[in-house]
Amino acid sequence: MGAEKATLNTDWLSACGGCHVALVDLHEKILDVIGAVNIQHCPVLTDIKGYPKADIGILTGAVRNEHDRHAAEAMRASCDVVIAFGTCAVYGGLTGASLAHCREEILDRVYVNNKTTLTHEAPTSQVALLEKLVTPIDEVIDVDLYLPGCPPHASFIFEALSSLLEKRPPEASDRSVCARCRRKMVKTDVSAIKANHEGMPDAETCFLSQGYVCLGSVTLDRCHSACTNQGIPCTGCAGPTLQVLTEPTHDLRTEVSERMSKLTAIPYADLMAAMERAAKTHYAYAMATKMIGDKPTFLINKWIEDVEAEDESNDHH
Amino acid sequence: MLEIKIHDESCRGCELCVDVCPTDVLAFDKVAHKATIQNVGDCIACLSCAFICPSGAITHSNIHHVKNFYRDLDFCRRVERFL
Repeated sequence: MGAEKATLNTDWLSACGGCHVALVDLHEKILDVIGAVNIQHCPVLTDIKGYPKADIGILTGAVRNEHDRHAAEAMRASCDVVIAFGTCAVYGGLTGASLAHCREEILDRVYVNNKTTLTHEAPTSQVALLEKLVTPIDEVIDVDLYLPGCPPHASFIFEALSSLLEKRPPEASDRSVCARCRRKMVKTDVSAIKANHEGMPDAETCFLSQGYVCLGSVTLDRCHSACTNQGIPCTGCAGPTLQVLTEPTHDLRTEVSERMSKLTAIPYADLMAAMERAAKTHYAYAMATKMIGDKPTFLINKWIEDVEAEDESNDHH
Repeated sequence: MLEIKIHDESCRGCELCVDVCPTDVLAFDKVAHKATIQNVGDCIACLSCAFICPSGAITHSNIHHVKNFYRDLDFCRRVERFL
């Protein structure tokens, strides 16, 4: 890395905090980073409250409340290059999944009618006011670079920071989670979709071949396929592949259903219906970005209504 | 001359590219359980194989890129800035 130290600000909007932990997950390579970078505003490492001028700014989390909006604007004003770091910053992430419910429903569930708390009213002071919607940060401020991942694997963080400091293009592939998954894809006569808790999936064979819905083929690899190689189907935490993002008619459920119906004996329509039923889960990480939310194929309100109508008619019988 | 590359480590051996190719450019190596390129000269650059590949392992070069005017240019510019 360069001889002169660059300056770095980081800040933490609505997120779980895992992205800041991921920075420390660089292990001994963190020493190279500290050798090359002066860390200034960083909520977990320093006590600097203001936003000093910095070369690089790392923003994690989505904009959900007044504090987030203020912090994002302050970071933009103080940093030359702003990186949207982690899935929440890039797409709204898991905080964005709350868009399946309105603000009033969320406040009611969390504060008013929450069985595990003693008080039953939403706070009016101390806690930053919840905005009506979740907004990925690039709809609030200009973002220079994007690093999705929940959190991004340390190797991608190191490559991103190194390339910035060395002023060269980063080596980032646009391949999916399947690219680093060690399972073999085979054609099978599996005829029913399995829930994750059903049966014991074979460790050598692709989840799709075995009837388990796995989002690996529609998810950008920023994780080194950690889950699928450890026996857990991909939930899409790093967000969609660039193909899904830029092609208006390509969608998470259409691509997965197409591949899975060709690998197994499960009909395409059944897979589509099952994925629409579980849309709040499958689209959780990316539904807040316009790149997914504005897709003509993304009909979450209809899917939720369909499920509710189905549940209601089942209740009557 | 048109060139097709399969990123070998990323191929999961699903055979979907072999099935979808309209001109039988690709073949399947059963021993290695991976797709291979058989008749590159017959490729019509429809990119069906690249789109169906679960890994994103297939890339074409020296092809005529059709301008996809139906794409959102703002989204395309955003994905160019991914690390």
